[in-house]
Amino acid sequence: MPYWYYDKKDLQNTPSFRDGINNDTENRYRKEGARFIIDTGSKMDLGYNTVATGVVYFHRFYMFHSFRTFPRYITACCCLFLAGKVEETPKKCKDIIKVAKSLLNEEKFNTFGEDPKEEVMTLERILLQTIKFDLQVEHPYSYLLKYAKCLKGDKTKLQKMVQMAWTFVNDSLCTTLCLQWEPEVIAVALMFLAGKLSKFEVVDWNGRAPKHNAWWDMFVEDITMELLEDICHQVLDLYSIQTQPSGGESPPLPPAPKPPKNEKKPPVTPPISASPAAPAKTPVKNGAEFYPYAPPPVAYTAPPPRLPPPPRLPMGLVYDAPPARFVASVPPPPLVPPPFLRARSPASSPPILSAAVIAIHCSDCVKVFSLCELRVTKPGRSQSFY
Amino acid sequence: MSTDSSTIQSPASAASISNVNALFQNAKKYEELNVIGTGAYGTVYKARDLHNDGHIVAMKKVKVALTEDGIPLSTVREIALLRQLEAYRHPNIVRLLDVCHGGQPMDRDQQLVLFLVFEHVEQDLDSFLKRAPGPLSENRIRCMSHDILSGIDFLHSHRIVHRDLKPHNLLVTSAGRVKLADFGLAKTYDTEMKLTSVVVTLWYRPPEVLLGASYNTAVDVWSCGCVLAELHTRAPLLPASSDSEQLHAIFRLIGRPPRYEWPDSVSIMRDSFPDYPPKDLAYVIPNAHPHALDLIKRMLVFDPAKRLTALDCLEHPYFTDEPIS
Ligand SMILES: Nc1ncnc2c1ncn2[C@@H]1O[C@H](COP(=O)(O)OP(=O)(O)O)[C@@H](O)[C@H]1O
Ligand SMILES: [Mg+2]
Repeated sequence: MPYWYYDKKDLQNTPSFRDGINNDTENRYRKEGARFIIDTGSKMDLGYNTVATGVVYFHRFYMFHSFRTFPRYITACCCLFLAGKVEETPKKCKDIIKVAKSLLNEEKFNTFGEDPKEEVMTLERILLQTIKFDLQVEHPYSYLLKYAKCLKGDKTKLQKMVQMAWTFVNDSLCTTLCLQWEPEVIAVALMFLAGKLSKFEVVDWNGRAPKHNAWWDMFVEDITMELLEDICHQVLDLYSIQTQPSGGESPPLPPAPKPPKNEKKPPVTPPISASPAAPAKTPVKNGAEFYPYAPPPVAYTAPPPRLPPPPRLPMGLVYDAPPARFVASVPPPPLVPPPFLRARSPASSPPILSAAVIAIHCSDCVKVFSLCELRVTKPGRSQSFY
Repeated sequence: MSTDSSTIQSPASAASISNVNALFQNAKKYEELNVIGTGAYGTVYKARDLHNDGHIVAMKKVKVALTEDGIPLSTVREIALLRQLEAYRHPNIVRLLDVCHGGQPMDRDQQLVLFLVFEHVEQDLDSFLKRAPGPLSENRIRCMSHDILSGIDFLHSHRIVHRDLKPHNLLVTSAGRVKLADFGLAKTYDTEMKLTSVVVTLWYRPPEVLLGASYNTAVDVWSCGCVLAELHTRAPLLPASSDSEQLHAIFRLIGRPPRYEWPDSVSIMRDSFPDYPPKDLAYVIPNAHPHALDLIKRMLVFDPAKRLTALDCLEHPYFTDEPIS
């Protein structure tokens, strides 16, 4: 059976890197490809599972091929196309191409070649071979809901936290986290992050045992604080202002919806003191604007929360969870559970989240969270946050 | 499992979309040795895994007709499920080691050849029984029966119906354990013309299938009942050569079912069969343990709803009275 997890060293020495594409550029391509799958999927009303599956295929594909050989947007289309079949939400290839065309500028769409559909068909076979027909992919979403069910505390706050974690999971698709950690681990980490940011402290949970120090010990063994923080940082880094490498092949794709006219253009520099010591007094207008959905139902039975159609916010990376597509019957639990998960230890030692302030900047608009519990002291990377 | 650093080596970084064949030539991983089985839908080869010390594997070739939108949804779904099942590594399911395809679809006819690579297992149950020098020991039969039922129960718990359980599709390892093979591709087969003219055997078919009524997981329990009988006698329990003869053979054994059990929606009339009385299984399967007879009797029940489930079977005194050794 193929094994799909890589350590950070592998993630730097990719086929693209060996092909002369530096890591920053590759990461940007990955982000743009993922983002494009998300946008195309949302536009076609595909569910979050299909979209996430497509993105995972995309990341796995480029562990074997270079972005120079296979242009990212057509690969992205093909990944979404195949994910649609696997998740039983099939879309016609020509319809996907149509939407892709509407989202891409001419130069980018030209990478699809003379006969885009034929190219996607060919690519489908290459994709299948590359991902070794390992088509069924699990995502953190279902784990979020499973974990949330066990947590005790204020229901409204809990819902808000889950909603926030959900959004982080959406955004995490733009990172290579799915190549590093099992969905269970990502779910724990992003729920941890959402808990911190929404000030929901989990003090008690169903199934608590004396040996458990934290709620996640119940689900995944050996999760260290370093690991959680490392994962959180990888997601938070998405919200930092991007400095584009000059002379890069192509600029990041802006398929994101245009900001409403009355919205001010996002400032280039975040309006926050560069000193981590000074707690930022940031006008957080309303957290609900950032996560504008009704929180998921408290009884987390069926998959995800049925969300009202999300308002189109000018939020680069934060994409709205599309409405849940419910399947009436939940499959019976498998007889033999998969092997119990053990967290591996992170390869490099990550920065420390300590206490005071985190400011999250979206690249397209600036929404700033002022948070009392957390401060990022991240040597060398501090400009990401301040 | 560990990350093998060689796996991230791109085998064909010089490939481009328009030059797919190169990609697959470079990736040629298996060397075919000889044909070990020709079933109705595919040919199975013994092959060498060139990336793994020439380890011997069984490689099944299945042709898939491409649709306007590429690989059919049903095939994608079925392979996804087979791959997913593999994660459980059930001891009574043949290991699926790899799935790959032949690259470019074959000229004009728009077919893609899929290769399913399985662990190579010594022989199938059919040849095992034919080669057995004499009757199997009671314990051996019990152990093999338990293996088969565990495999079936596993499939059923994942909502897979095997549909074609028979000695040819049960593999026997050198240690004498049984593993299920040849399942999970029913829809892929359906859309595909048969590769050979091999006649599909009717002997293990349950009455509801022969009658054209709706069917479910209970079909596998029926077939398994026939196989369990065969483990004792080393001869098929219900050999017949047509659908109608097969039904007659079944009713001669279990008796013609009562009128109220006859399914409503079938065109074959109950009255077209003589009023066969049920036979005593003890005469049909001599020397069987009474528990074994009781179990088989409860598996060969006309009404699928009244048949034991695979899980029920595993909890039958035949298996629980004494521990399986
Ligand atoms: N993994 C295997 N190891 C050894 N022999 C096998 C294996 N798989 C299949 N065979 C042999 O090949 C025959 C046909 O394989 P099967 O998967 O049943 O294909 P079909 O769909 O054509 O019946 C089997 O009856 C068995 O004898
Ligand atoms: Mg067969």
